[in-house]
Amino acid sequence: MKKWYNVLAILMTAVIMLGTLGMACAEKPAPPKPTGPITINIGLPMPLSGSASPWGQIPTPFREAWFEVFNREGFQVNGQTYKLKLIQVDDQNTAEGGAAAAKQLIYGDNCKFIAGHWSWNFGAVASVTNPAKVIFVTRTGAPDALPASWGGAYDPKTMPYVVFGTPSFDEFVNYCFTLRDAYPNMKKLGLLDCTISKNGMGWQKVQDTLTKAGIPWQEEWFTYGQTDFAPIITKFAEGGCDVVLIAGWIGEHMAFLKQRYEMGYKNMKVGCSGPFVSMDIYKSVVGAAAFEGAIGAYDDNSKLKKTIVNPKYIAECQEALKIAAEKTKGPYEYTGEIKWIPTHPQILVQAMQKAGTVDDPDAIMKAIRGGTFDTAQGKWTMSGEKTYGSAVNFGNTGQLCIIKDGKEVYLAEHPMDPIP
Amino acid sequence: MPPAGIWVDGLVQSCIYITMAFGMVLVFSILGILNWTHGQFYMLGGFVVYYAVTAAGIPFPLSLLVSGVVVGGLGMLVEKVVIERLTSPGYGILSVTAATNALIFFFEGAAGMGFGLMNKGMATVLPGVLDMGSFSISYQKIAVIIFTLVVMVAMYIVLNRTKVGKAIRATSQEPDAASLYGVNVKWVRVIVMGIGCALAAMAGGVIGIVQSVNPFMGRVPMIMSLLAVVIGGLGSLTGAIVGGIMLGLLNSVIAYSISYYSEVALFMLVIILLLIRPQGLFGAAPK
Repeated sequence: MKKWYNVLAILMTAVIMLGTLGMACAEKPAPPKPTGPITINIGLPMPLSGSASPWGQIPTPFREAWFEVFNREGFQVNGQTYKLKLIQVDDQNTAEGGAAAAKQLIYGDNCKFIAGHWSWNFGAVASVTNPAKVIFVTRTGAPDALPASWGGAYDPKTMPYVVFGTPSFDEFVNYCFTLRDAYPNMKKLGLLDCTISKNGMGWQKVQDTLTKAGIPWQEEWFTYGQTDFAPIITKFAEGGCDVVLIAGWIGEHMAFLKQRYEMGYKNMKVGCSGPFVSMDIYKSVVGAAAFEGAIGAYDDNSKLKKTIVNPKYIAECQEALKIAAEKTKGPYEYTGEIKWIPTHPQILVQAMQKAGTVDDPDAIMKAIRGGTFDTAQGKWTMSGEKTYGSAVNFGNTGQLCIIKDGKEVYLAEHPMDPIP
Repeated sequence: MPPAGIWVDGLVQSCIYITMAFGMVLVFSILGILNWTHGQFYMLGGFVVYYAVTAAGIPFPLSLLVSGVVVGGLGMLVEKVVIERLTSPGYGILSVTAATNALIFFFEGAAGMGFGLMNKGMATVLPGVLDMGSFSISYQKIAVIIFTLVVMVAMYIVLNRTKVGKAIRATSQEPDAASLYGVNVKWVRVIVMGIGCALAAMAGGVIGIVQSVNPFMGRVPMIMSLLAVVIGGLGSLTGAIVGGIMLGLLNSVIAYSISYYSEVALFMLVIILLLIRPQGLFGAAPK
């Protein structure tokens, strides 16, 4: 009898153990599928305070409006609909601010991507985004977003998650070609930049490219905070420069325009590789007469003549401009943001769709490198394998405008060749 | 030889440095301190003129006077509330230096919050250009030169022909003796601070039509006017004028000659001058 009890006990123990094991190995029930779109956070470190903050604040209504328009449909990856949410954090245009903003966006706000970035803190932000495997869409140039071999901070080996959605540095050279297209009889091109941006290889590249293209040039430099340009204007004039291109320094562009007019060099055409961020400010600082004939970067994709842009993207931008005007309760003419937002998110969205994932940054970066993307700035193939060490540079339309009767009017356009 | 336009441009810069340096020397002579916030009073003066002209429609010359009165008044308040306390016995020079440095950021931050950070222009004030043949000069720049001449004449009259000026000169030479003669030294300090800040404010207002106005516009002029004071000699009003003229002209000519190395060359010249003559050109020789 005792023997039967022992057998029964062993059998029952075995059954219980097998049952427990079976339950543990049984498939867990799948979590309930989301019924609606999933939101992906896109972070943007942006100067919202400090001396650069006007350039960060003015485009904000358009940025926010574009996301509003985009999210009406969102985008799909593997049958799931996604929306994008923009989260801006002040980076004060400093390295410390950039690093802190990036950390807040990634670890505090769960941003999958950083995009639309242009501040002067590329290295600091990239040092946070790359270890976190967060794809960082930014621009070249200003001043350390250049290859390490040129004295910059970009190294494709240590920064595998960086994308140059706006090739600002290369765009500067391209604008030189646009100016040549606009003024074929140009005698000499004056190039003006701040000593902060003066670096060996990068500036050498500019000089070599222009010399090779047969464009006579003369370079001058100003120090940070300089407000008097009379000596520089005089040297350009004495050197025979009839066209001058300033590298994106808007306050300095205003001062140069005014001073060259007052010095009697009214016919000296002065361009800037940055857009006219605020026409009112330009007019109040420069004066209407001196402002006429000023040249600036132009990103209104509805005016392009050589670059083809998807009409849907043009319509989205126009809609966003309209919403921005309603929000600001006045005319909103600033189109310079187009080459940042929406272009950067559009690259990311299409890359996610090509890669078939929103969660795998390596797969998404693989889709980006050398890929072709259709954006509000046109269709471009990522390039830069030879120059930057990785094919992560986008293209640019090279569109410039000129001020006529106080308004921006299309001047010329030189679609950028792929960066080698 | 630099063209005429470079010399004219240098002269305009000199005018601003003279006006600011004059105010700085006045304050130093009486209060015995360098007012590190001098550049920010220059900036505030620019904003007062901007709003007086564009928002209130006050004519430009009157706006300059308004900025002098308003910002001069603010300077007097700073003297009474901050500097007077921190220069009294028990406090060292470091305290007032730290306080005036802190005020730099306070005023810039307050101006940024109150007036915004965008450049503000007054291009519509005195528009137009006078063609002189080989060069042109804007009416705005001519206004800067005339303004400086008027200010220098006015300061000469005040300091040499008025009771207040007599009191200021007496206090700067020997404050204890001046006090014995019935001069209220404390009020002389306040008045001089007001005059110094008013001069800076009007300089900022007049340059605002030539360049533009923003919360950070006072930093470089502050450094340059300090250099002018050092070149001319601390405590010497004549030195402030000569230092301002030299600095403005040299800055323009050197920038024309060697571009962005001009600042390096200029500061090197100042160091060499101080090594040869530490008291500056017109300062009293060290005992």
